[in-house]
Amino acid sequence: MGLSIREPPVVLVPVAVLEGQDVPEPLAAFLAPAEVVLLGYHVVPEQTPAGQASMQFEERATHAVEEVAAVFGEAGRRVDTRVVFTHDRDQTVERVAEEVGATAVLLSNPTGPVEEVLVAVRGAIDTDRLADLVATLAGGDQQVTVWGLADGGFDAGAAVERARSTLADRGLPAGRVRTLVTDSETPVYDIVERSGEFDAIVMGEGGPTVLSALLGEDAERVAEGAVAPVLVVRAAPGGQPSR
Amino acid sequence: MGTEHTGGNVNRAGEEPAVVAEAVTDEASVTGEGTELERSIGLVGGLSIGIGTMIGAGIFVFPGLAAGRAGLGAAGSFALGAVIALLVALPASELATAMPRSGGGYYFVSRALGALPGAVVGLSIWLGLVFATAFYLVGFGNYAAAVLAEAGVPVGGSVVVPLALVFGALLTALNLLGTENAAALQNYVVGALVAILVVFLGYGGLDALGIVGEPSVPERLLPFGTLPVFTTAALVFTSYLGFAQVATVAGDIRQPGRNLPLAMVGSVLVVGALYVTTVLVATSAVGSQSLSGFGETAIVEVARALGGRAGAVAILLAGLLATVSSANASILSTSRAVFAVSRDAILPRAASRLGLRYGTPHVALAMGGGPVLVLVALGEVELLAEVASFLHLVMYGLICVSLLALRRNEPPWYDPAFRVPAHRAVATLGALASFGLILFMQPASQVVGLVVMVLSALWYRYYANGVSLKGVL
Repeated sequence: MGLSIREPPVVLVPVAVLEGQDVPEPLAAFLAPAEVVLLGYHVVPEQTPAGQASMQFEERATHAVEEVAAVFGEAGRRVDTRVVFTHDRDQTVERVAEEVGATAVLLSNPTGPVEEVLVAVRGAIDTDRLADLVATLAGGDQQVTVWGLADGGFDAGAAVERARSTLADRGLPAGRVRTLVTDSETPVYDIVERSGEFDAIVMGEGGPTVLSALLGEDAERVAEGAVAPVLVVRAAPGGQPSR
Repeated sequence: MGTEHTGGNVNRAGEEPAVVAEAVTDEASVTGEGTELERSIGLVGGLSIGIGTMIGAGIFVFPGLAAGRAGLGAAGSFALGAVIALLVALPASELATAMPRSGGGYYFVSRALGALPGAVVGLSIWLGLVFATAFYLVGFGNYAAAVLAEAGVPVGGSVVVPLALVFGALLTALNLLGTENAAALQNYVVGALVAILVVFLGYGGLDALGIVGEPSVPERLLPFGTLPVFTTAALVFTSYLGFAQVATVAGDIRQPGRNLPLAMVGSVLVVGALYVTTVLVATSAVGSQSLSGFGETAIVEVARALGGRAGAVAILLAGLLATVSSANASILSTSRAVFAVSRDAILPRAASRLGLRYGTPHVALAMGGGPVLVLVALGEVELLAEVASFLHLVMYGLICVSLLALRRNEPPWYDPAFRVPAHRAVATLGALASFGLILFMQPASQVVGLVVMVLSALWYRYYANGVSLKGVL
């Protein structure tokens, strides 16, 4: 098919493993072209030492992670698995993402077969990593929409153009990439609004702002509101500070 | 987790000690099955556990009692307590960095000296923490009653115990429900307390030096001689029991090699400085005679003398927060102490079961909160506070002995990130001072403490005689 991927993408898939969270089959099939690390985590209340929880639930957690791994196995992807007992989900996801050099972190949502992929660009994003990921995952027959949300000083048009040409460099046929630029003062809201038209959303981390400290990270808010799963592209090491 | 029975290493119920963590990194421990246990408590969290546990008693309960016994010498008692605590905090820090696993002093003693001393320490610390919690709760009751009195509600001392009971039950329930952000709240409470105290003591210190306010008459240093300094040190040592609680969560502390020593030694230094200053300021402001007359809430009268009604109200509120934070931290420590011995099959494994609904250690919390409420209802908490000190001092002495034993013949696994300088002198002095302070306690406390230890040893012989823990990591 002639893709030329610069750095094979690694997707970290965190799963709240003892709360029955799993990965829908079509989503596993969509992610299967990339390397996948499956992170089964269980958040323990502060009052409970992590070791005490693992003493009781380790077997169940390991078993449940194997079951999710089997879904990826069906899709032809052997995944690495990790099981973590933690008091702080975000700290664990961040640490493991760092350790495995994850290109993107999945925020899971139910989805059907992935045909329409939205790439939402609304701030500085690592275009090379983004293109590696999207070209790898959308190597089937998915339609990719690169949507720039211009917000004040951010030149969305240029960013979208850069993303489009990098995707072309990676070998994604131009006919499968649509671009779109709109003005938006409420990007999170607008992305959620249109999320019904897409089966998966790819977006950047977005730096820590005052607003995100109050409301949560943009990507998390999108994942909460949208019906589609969200892939959050992490800044490359040495690029933007990721913490 | 081994489930097969490998010969003798089992208790009466056929349970084996559970191996919890194989490998330790700065950010996580890894179990034998490859499961990771995230370390999520930082230096601030560690300091907050240490200071939060200790500060309630030393400043808000003891100054009146101590001044009544030793006069201005009470400052010396608190200083002596701080020195002893430091002599133990250093060896405990080294052991904690070598064995950053939850369980604290019990864990070190059982691994260095064997299961019997370990069981005695582990079980008596559980009861010691129950006693200490009851003491903090009654302290809280006193403050709550004083707040009501200040607000003009005519209540006598009769509401102290009911208030303590209600709050004890409330704290246990909140922990059972797995209340979120309790740790963050505790950090803020401790920060606010230290800030209030620094302002209060700073102003009081200037006043004592005659720079502001009325000049005060200097007191005689040791109105009752030197002996009361030591007996009072034995009494107020309850206010230094918190630093070892940091080690009970060692398994959850990030960068344990750095954060554990800093949190343990740091919390002793902070509270020691605050305690000594408090006694100096208090005796200079109102005199040790009247200080002792004010009893548990004496420090409020000091604040009133220094800052009027506003000062008194500020310190009353601080006292409420401090005693609640001490009681809450101790209830959690009790639950962790129960977990540590139950994990090692010295108590039935059921004691460390987690509730499925809230994921909290409901059995262990009940084994803390339940007896606490009974003790509060029965009264006699001042005696119990001293018994708590007794049992902790035994553990502290044995921690020092553990360090000496491990250092003399270092096992291959022993690789602490922090090594005590002049360890032999520090640990020997620490052990002698810890055991020595016990001699200055009231005979009643000594007897009760010994009974608890003997019962613990008997329980081990009865229930877990086959369990061996020495060198088992």
